[in-house]
Amino acid sequence: MSDTATLIKMEGVKKVFLTDEVETHALEEIHLEIKKGQYISIAGPSGCGKSTLLSILGLLDSPSDGTYMLNGQPVGKLTISERTRIRNREIGFIFQAFNLIGDLTVYENVELPLTYRGTSSAERKQKVQNALERVGMAHRLRHYPSQLSGGQQQRVAVARALVGDPLILMADEPTGNLDSKNGEAVMELLRDLHRNGATVCMVTHDQRYANFAERTIHLFDGRIVEETKEAGVSV
Amino acid sequence: MGTIGQDIRYGVRMLVKHRLTTLVCVAALALGIGVNAAMFSVAEAFLLHPVPFENSDRIVALVDSRPSQGIDTNSVSPVTYLEWKAQAHSFDKMGAYVWDTINLTGDREAEKAQAFAISPNFFDLLGVHPLMGRTFLPEEDQVGKDQVIVLSYGLWERRYASDPLILGKKIKVDGKTLEIVGVMRKGFDYPKPAEAWVPLSFNAKQRTIRDSRYLWVLAHLKPQVSVQQATAEMRTIAVQQAEAYPDAYKGWTLRVLTIPNFATDSLTRQFTFLLLGAVGFVLLIACADVANVQFARVTGRHKELAVRTAMGASRSRIIRQLLTESVLLSLAGAVLGLLLAMWWVYLIVSHMPPEVAKFIAGWNTIRLDANAFLFTLAIAISSGIVSGIAPSWLHSETNISETLKESGRGASTGPSRHRLRSVLVIAEIALALILLVGAGLLVKGFRALIVVHENFRPATVLTLNLDLPEMQYKEKPGRTAFYAQVLQRLAALPHVQSAGLATYVPYAGGGGTGVSPFTIEGRAPEERGETPSTIVETISPDYFRLMNIGLRGGRELSDSDGDATPPVAVISQNVAKRYFSGGNPLGKKLKIGKADADSPWLTIVGIVDDVHYTWVDKQEYPTIYRSYRQAPPFYTSLVLRTNGDPLTSVSAVRSAVGEVDPDLPLFDVLPFDRVITNSIVGIAYVAAMMTILGLIALVLASVGIYGVMSYSVGERTHEIGVRMAMGATSNDVQRLILRNGLFLTIVGMAIGLPMALGIAYALSSILFGVRVADPFAFVALPLLLAAVATVACYLPARRAVRMDPLTALRYE
Ligand SMILES: Nc1ncnc2c1ncn2[C@@H]1O[C@H](COP(=O)(O)OP(=O)(O)OP(=O)(O)O)[C@@H](O)[C@H]1O
Ligand SMILES: [Mg+2]
Repeated sequence: MSDTATLIKMEGVKKVFLTDEVETHALEEIHLEIKKGQYISIAGPSGCGKSTLLSILGLLDSPSDGTYMLNGQPVGKLTISERTRIRNREIGFIFQAFNLIGDLTVYENVELPLTYRGTSSAERKQKVQNALERVGMAHRLRHYPSQLSGGQQQRVAVARALVGDPLILMADEPTGNLDSKNGEAVMELLRDLHRNGATVCMVTHDQRYANFAERTIHLFDGRIVEETKEAGVSV
Repeated sequence: MGTIGQDIRYGVRMLVKHRLTTLVCVAALALGIGVNAAMFSVAEAFLLHPVPFENSDRIVALVDSRPSQGIDTNSVSPVTYLEWKAQAHSFDKMGAYVWDTINLTGDREAEKAQAFAISPNFFDLLGVHPLMGRTFLPEEDQVGKDQVIVLSYGLWERRYASDPLILGKKIKVDGKTLEIVGVMRKGFDYPKPAEAWVPLSFNAKQRTIRDSRYLWVLAHLKPQVSVQQATAEMRTIAVQQAEAYPDAYKGWTLRVLTIPNFATDSLTRQFTFLLLGAVGFVLLIACADVANVQFARVTGRHKELAVRTAMGASRSRIIRQLLTESVLLSLAGAVLGLLLAMWWVYLIVSHMPPEVAKFIAGWNTIRLDANAFLFTLAIAISSGIVSGIAPSWLHSETNISETLKESGRGASTGPSRHRLRSVLVIAEIALALILLVGAGLLVKGFRALIVVHENFRPATVLTLNLDLPEMQYKEKPGRTAFYAQVLQRLAALPHVQSAGLATYVPYAGGGGTGVSPFTIEGRAPEERGETPSTIVETISPDYFRLMNIGLRGGRELSDSDGDATPPVAVISQNVAKRYFSGGNPLGKKLKIGKADADSPWLTIVGIVDDVHYTWVDKQEYPTIYRSYRQAPPFYTSLVLRTNGDPLTSVSAVRSAVGEVDPDLPLFDVLPFDRVITNSIVGIAYVAAMMTILGLIALVLASVGIYGVMSYSVGERTHEIGVRMAMGATSNDVQRLILRNGLFLTIVGMAIGLPMALGIAYALSSILFGVRVADPFAFVALPLLLAAVATVACYLPARRAVRMDPLTALRYE
């Protein structure tokens, strides 16, 4: 369980957005190391760069500067198809906005990562069923996202993140739209995943949930300003 | 494999969900694919299998051409053929045929049939076998042994009631007795429109003829010899012949054509390609429409595609997903398009008069066959790909994380997308303009032809042909007397105002006229090979009045111009202009034939209006008229001016001629207006099809511009709301949208116009009555296009101004 190999290593990562000639420095000089199997949370005020950092960590975006090593490999050198493959096989996402596809049913939304992986249809069925059961949404297979409440949509989004048994989970405010009961349930799911060896990176404003993590990274204006380590919470 | 199924299922769901746009796309594609499938069927018949036998690519036609006079396919002389046959090594069989109309008499009512005199190996060369009996034996090309005939299935069925015991029977043909030795298979009518075949024989004199060209020569290539090799060999032989006999070959060039190229004349090919190009344009416009819809759709689905990408869908998977949708769309279009094509093919085939269709190589093979089906499938899939590739390509990975954020900032479209959509609209407008101008010019040309004819007042004229048997009417006075009697009797018929005759009725028989060289007295012989040539008409004196051909100087021919008086001629105005420029031709003398011909000198007594003989001619051809009393022909057309419907007089005409000669078949009995429409039916088809294609293009292009404009209005809803909140009037907003759309229209027209001009040059060089600077085509039609485009822009603009600014502001 206590595998201490470095999974993620960022050195001097910057992200600059250029819009209408205005430069926005979303991230400045990020140095970060995350070990395999760690559970970290990212905190900070709105607009400080949390989502941006998560996007880069999850290979959805590329840094403007600096190096990002994933599993000892410089990400900048990966081809598009390698990035795609890693996203598909090793990374799960829970977005701040749920980002379910409106034209796909609950079942099909959850199935999506497996589809792009080439899993056989019998296995897909089994896994999707499992994932939906874990989030308590197995009775809504044929519904479309628009027919679900916000919390239900969030749970489907979590099921979609879990279904492929990702090694790394990127969760951007996974409880943002949930009441505390549902919030607890989602956190429990993330903990399960973590217990089974996954690395979890979670953005949250909620101190209660941040406490589930082993480490909390505090961001301010695109910089890491503080790191706290929680003791004894992880099992 | 299973994932393709998923793509398809999802694609179908998306198409059903966006019903209206799907319907528009399917309709656009159905129109585009439909005209292509129909046109493919026509082109296939004309260009690929125009002849009723296999292996036509191993058989070539050896023809003469005379580029200086625009003759691209001409027959050759007997000696030329016999020398080729003796010298050429590229072929294992060489044969020839001659057009030969025959009179079938004796057993039943006299009838004219289209026969061909063929060398005995002809059927063998083509690789066809008779249904019954045999074809010709090698020795049957000798005079005396050639008293045999092979019937076509059609003639056997019609005239002889499919008599199973017909073989060996003797029938009367042109006064000779021939034995029926074979009947060909149903549908075999080569050379078109053959009804019977007789052996081609040469007598001793014919074997020496070098400069009278009337043989069509076909040859079958030896197994290892290519058309190029055969062409090279034949060129060498032709050069040797020309060196040995420069007079006979000056200006002539040998051409070697494969049968499909030979059977379908170059004009038909040109128009076929023109229409193929036009349907291709229509399909492109339809594809641009669909591409535009797909663009809008991809943009609307930005978020979905970003999620898919985040979930690990590779770029190729996304592209595949989008392409699946557009291919599904175009397959649906193809199904509907095939139905449309079936209907169009039916319309095309059923509107062709049978008396014209029988001359058109490949006409009866026009149908939607397996090839057309495969072609449709291929163009459907490629148009699916063409219309889907750009939109899916533009969906790039760069901004997924942006799109996935809540703000919706990512839903906006990049500038490259806008630019591409504008380019598509511009291209649509340009293509539509080209098609419209092409259609306009063809319609103008067609109308010019109609106007040319109105002068004849053809609706009340009856035309018919007859051909006096040479044996019976060997002597001139006999022929003159025959015609004089016939004309007298015809003129006396109740509904007939006047009766006349002429060698060639304008536009009859596809407009084909023979031309002869002529010589003007006192002129130095022209450059060798450049002798002036003319149509020689032999007419009855009242022909000019009957046909409304105006006298421009001197006098008409008269009944007193006869055997005993000096031979005279009337010339057409362009003979006067071209060859007597400045001087007065009246009283001058000319003769038919070259300077050394032993034909009589004719005194010019009158000048008449030019007559247009065939739509193929861009200008009227010089014509010299003689009186039948001075040169009675064997073959002639009778023309009758009647009081009303000319067809009511037909039986009276038949019996009147029958009273003079009961054995003489009358053929091609048709009202003159029918003759004219028949002869221009091809160009009428082209004009009609181009008009339909032009209109389809107009509709599709306006759908395209409407789609783009209404999409951009949708996209700018928020902007418009803000503008209106800031006090912009509805006029301001409307102008904003309209300006945008009209700009695209004008750019499209500016690009299309030069290309349309190119088409106009090409058409004016092949069509009578088409001028490049045509105000209808180049002013009226572009204005029409601009007007339609304005309406297409106006509708979305009006929707924009009707919006409540508050809703518009909330809209994001
Ligand atoms: N695509 C973009 N173009 C321009 N600026 C951007 C873009 N994405 C993010 N930014 C800017 O980068 C900074 C960081 O944004 P980010 O979304 O990472 O914030 P966050 O910490 O996730 O905030 P929140 O808690 O509100 O979700 C912000 O100032 C934002 O305006
Ligand atoms: Mg965020």
